[in-house]
Amino acid sequence: MSLKLTDIVKRFKTETVLDGVSLSVGRGETLVLFGPSGAGKTVLLRLIAGVVDPDGGTIEIEGRDMDGVEPEDRGIGMAFQNFALFPHMDAMANIASPLTARRTGREAIAETVGKVARMLKIDHVLHHKPKELSNGQKQRTALARALAGAPQILLLDDPLRNVDAKLRFEMRLELPRLLRSQDATVIYVTQDYKEAMALGDRIAVMNGHGIQQIGTPEDIYLRPANIEIARLFGDPVINLLDVVPEAADGSGGVQVRLSDQPVALVGGYAGTVGTDCVLGLRPEAMRFVDPGTPGAIPVEVEAETPLNEKTVTLTLTQRGREIMVSRPSGMPGPDQGTAYVAVDAKDALLFDRATGQRIAPGAHSPALQEDVA
Amino acid sequence: MTDIMLNIENVDKFYGPVGVGVHAVKGIDMQVARGEIIALLGSSGCGKTSTLRMVAGFEAVSRGRIHLAGREVHMLPPVKRNVAMAFEGYSLYPTVTVRDNIAFALKAARLPQSEVESRVRDVAQMLEITDILDRFPTSVSGGQQQRASLARALIRDADLHLLDEPMGQLEPQLRTLLRGRIKHFIKERGLTAILVTHDQTEANALADRIAVMEDGVLQQYASPAEIKERPANLFTGTFVGEPPMNVFPASASVSAGEILLNLAGGLVLRYPEAEFAPEVRQSILSRGDVVIGVRPYAVHRGEGGAEAQVVANQWLGDQTHIAAAFAESTVVLVEHDRARLSEGDRIRIALKPDDLHVFDPDSGMAISHGRGLA
Amino acid sequence: MDTVSPLERVLRGLAITVVILFFMFPIVWIFLMSFQTNETILRVPPSVVFEPTLTNYTALITGKLETAAGTLEIAFMRNLWNSLFLSTASVAVGLLLGVPAAYAFGRLKFRGSEDIAFTLLSFRFAPPLLVLLPLTIYFQKIGLADTYVGLIWVYQLIVLPLILWIVRGYFEDIPADIEYAYRIAGHSWFSTFRKIALPLAGPGIAAAGLLAFIFAWNNFIFALVLASADKQPVTVGALAFVTASGIQYGQVAAGIVLSIAPTFALALYAQRYLVEGLSLGAVKG
Repeated sequence: MSLKLTDIVKRFKTETVLDGVSLSVGRGETLVLFGPSGAGKTVLLRLIAGVVDPDGGTIEIEGRDMDGVEPEDRGIGMAFQNFALFPHMDAMANIASPLTARRTGREAIAETVGKVARMLKIDHVLHHKPKELSNGQKQRTALARALAGAPQILLLDDPLRNVDAKLRFEMRLELPRLLRSQDATVIYVTQDYKEAMALGDRIAVMNGHGIQQIGTPEDIYLRPANIEIARLFGDPVINLLDVVPEAADGSGGVQVRLSDQPVALVGGYAGTVGTDCVLGLRPEAMRFVDPGTPGAIPVEVEAETPLNEKTVTLTLTQRGREIMVSRPSGMPGPDQGTAYVAVDAKDALLFDRATGQRIAPGAHSPALQEDVA
Repeated sequence: MTDIMLNIENVDKFYGPVGVGVHAVKGIDMQVARGEIIALLGSSGCGKTSTLRMVAGFEAVSRGRIHLAGREVHMLPPVKRNVAMAFEGYSLYPTVTVRDNIAFALKAARLPQSEVESRVRDVAQMLEITDILDRFPTSVSGGQQQRASLARALIRDADLHLLDEPMGQLEPQLRTLLRGRIKHFIKERGLTAILVTHDQTEANALADRIAVMEDGVLQQYASPAEIKERPANLFTGTFVGEPPMNVFPASASVSAGEILLNLAGGLVLRYPEAEFAPEVRQSILSRGDVVIGVRPYAVHRGEGGAEAQVVANQWLGDQTHIAAAFAESTVVLVEHDRARLSEGDRIRIALKPDDLHVFDPDSGMAISHGRGLA
Repeated sequence: MDTVSPLERVLRGLAITVVILFFMFPIVWIFLMSFQTNETILRVPPSVVFEPTLTNYTALITGKLETAAGTLEIAFMRNLWNSLFLSTASVAVGLLLGVPAAYAFGRLKFRGSEDIAFTLLSFRFAPPLLVLLPLTIYFQKIGLADTYVGLIWVYQLIVLPLILWIVRGYFEDIPADIEYAYRIAGHSWFSTFRKIALPLAGPGIAAAGLLAFIFAWNNFIFALVLASADKQPVTVGALAFVTASGIQYGQVAAGIVLSIAPTFALALYAQRYLVEGLSLGAVKG
């Protein structure tokens, strides 16, 4: 493993920010650290960079323990959320700073800087001071500076946070290729779940002093470990409804009730019958159907909010619970008043209400799982 | 025309001396009907906040007039305009509780205690701040302060509600829910509201009409659907819409009953002449050089069409964004299912005439949208 | 509001004039006095019309003070030189010691750093006389009394806390990320201090140095007690104008004009830095 963290603990005064974080990332891999603000993502990056010292645990880079190794000796490149460009140096000198530290020759510096700058399309502003650069150019300069030293470990602290939406989108599409060309171990911090899913080979979801789940984007989105993680991924946010599963008549399956309509749960949830659960339904896992469709759930339409490529409808169930339903834009929507919603039961997630943990289908009923197989 | 609540007539704003200073708002003309929700949308420095502050009365109008509820108000101080405002910086009174902050204007208006209480309860419930009503503003989070500030504005019976970046500090999960609730709240009470935002998702979700501003100029003032389907110019076209509209310079010619759009890199798109309305055809051909735009969700993969090579395929849970090298540039597609494509794969891209937006390359003004002239 | 009524404009101008008069009047009056003889100054009623004379200045420069009781030797030019030397040297020493210390206090939050920094600042709270008496005795014992070195040392009491506290604020204002970025790029902490922190705090250091210079220049009490005639600065030297035959107002005025001239010129020259420097937050990416 190129980067390995073991049981990292960090406290500020009496507050524990990181409590036993372990993580390993391979060369060429991009790991996204994702989580709400205050989850300790930036602190973790700083620990790896060596500008903050851990209170416990070990950090290894390429098998070498980093305890006592100064930031300048760790072979790291880092881009900061607020860019942290040197205001008194032009873009050229900023980007060249990892090279000047190694006493690289003047010509070699010019060549490397030129190459990185061309790759990031800022070669025409190399002689501008940071304050003369646009936000997008600043961001690219910061990225170029992180890349210029060809570091083994590349730390990117929410680098797209402070650029406008359009540029953020372009960079999101551009970055994977750029990062792959570096052959570095990349740790990418973000609060934007779309960025996390688009860029991460794996995503580590940080929440409450540590990492709650590590997995591929698919793992995280389709099989979130708990309610919190399910809420953090997806826009609009997943619908969460308190339910008590009941045995379905005859079939031996399990069902829940929404607006008094039974909704069958696919897979082996038999062990959950009669327990307090939370049903998680992604807005895109539901669709409006004609009245009278079998199994359709009646809801009241509250408000329609068109987003960009989809439209979100806020509805109320007959028991006054809010459910958001989304559909690709262009598809006809419901009329005001009562509408009917069908649920894709295979996309439903079930959580234990007490612990918030997801209940994996079949976990409670090995017998049923065999049936399915 | 319907009942006009707000009429902004040819309003300008200069900062500093004329000629030397900044011309922040340039001749803005817009009307807001009673009960309408309007979003002023633009990037920072586009003049949207100046416009809002002139309507509120915190900034003097350099030129032009503003009428609100039939009264000329642009010379009146803010307090006499009967507008309610939620400030971006919250501006809560730090010495009284959140509840008293929210109820402040109602108490000043000597509403009966029971009515004040029930209204505070309703708005607090809607914004999920019931549990912090008896705390002081400085002891609650930024997001809660922002909701308190929003509640304080929405609770009032004003002619106009001005909301400056009302949801900027909220966590994304809450934001999507509150958008729906706030819209419902405003509509149910028939309030007239203007919100300033740089977030197009918010503008799209909340507003009946969006005023897109850039460089002090009102670029387009229309419904979200209209802006999406019929952007007035290249700026609006590429600014509104996420992912942004794909644009390619092209030169149009006609050959053997086909319209040819020549893109960079020798790429030619061919359409039977009949697929364009005669006036559109004539308008495009008479210009020759144009810029064509197509929304990412209107780009389709399929047989026929032009070849493109995939450079990125990003699955976001409920949609997939695909970027492909095309015409010496990049074309972006949005699909609603997960696409099984990897980098380097070759796909064929079809751009239907119905989905093409054509712009004048010099002025940036729209020439045609699909089958109709702009 | 960008529209101002004519009346408001007139009133505003009037108010500004009054303020300027109030603050500038003593300086202008002193300036006028320095070109008059004692007789015209003390004339009753006073008059602004007089025949200007340079005798005050020539007396100061030649060192011969003509009084009614005869000629008196004064060392004004020597005093002026002492002031210049003492202030410059004190500020130089103060910057050399204070800037690295300020960086340490600003950046490395070590145990007790706040307390030490505050103790240094508290030197400015105590009445100087309280410190002076024991100090004089010590200095006489170790042979530092009436030496430039001793004076420069004591001047650090004035200069060092000022530099430390102003410059520390500047260092704290530099976003830590900027320094981290330089270190992660592979530079040592010392190189980071030299190439990043120092240049970015430059305006602040200049402002602090300038203020410290003015404070050192204006100091009276330390030099009065610790320095003999040949090492006295102008502030103390001006006492010589209080002679047996009365106060030589003309020469006092000329002396003041000459002694405020350097700080005045410096302040004018560095006005931009001072304003920029005193309004913190000058470092933004």
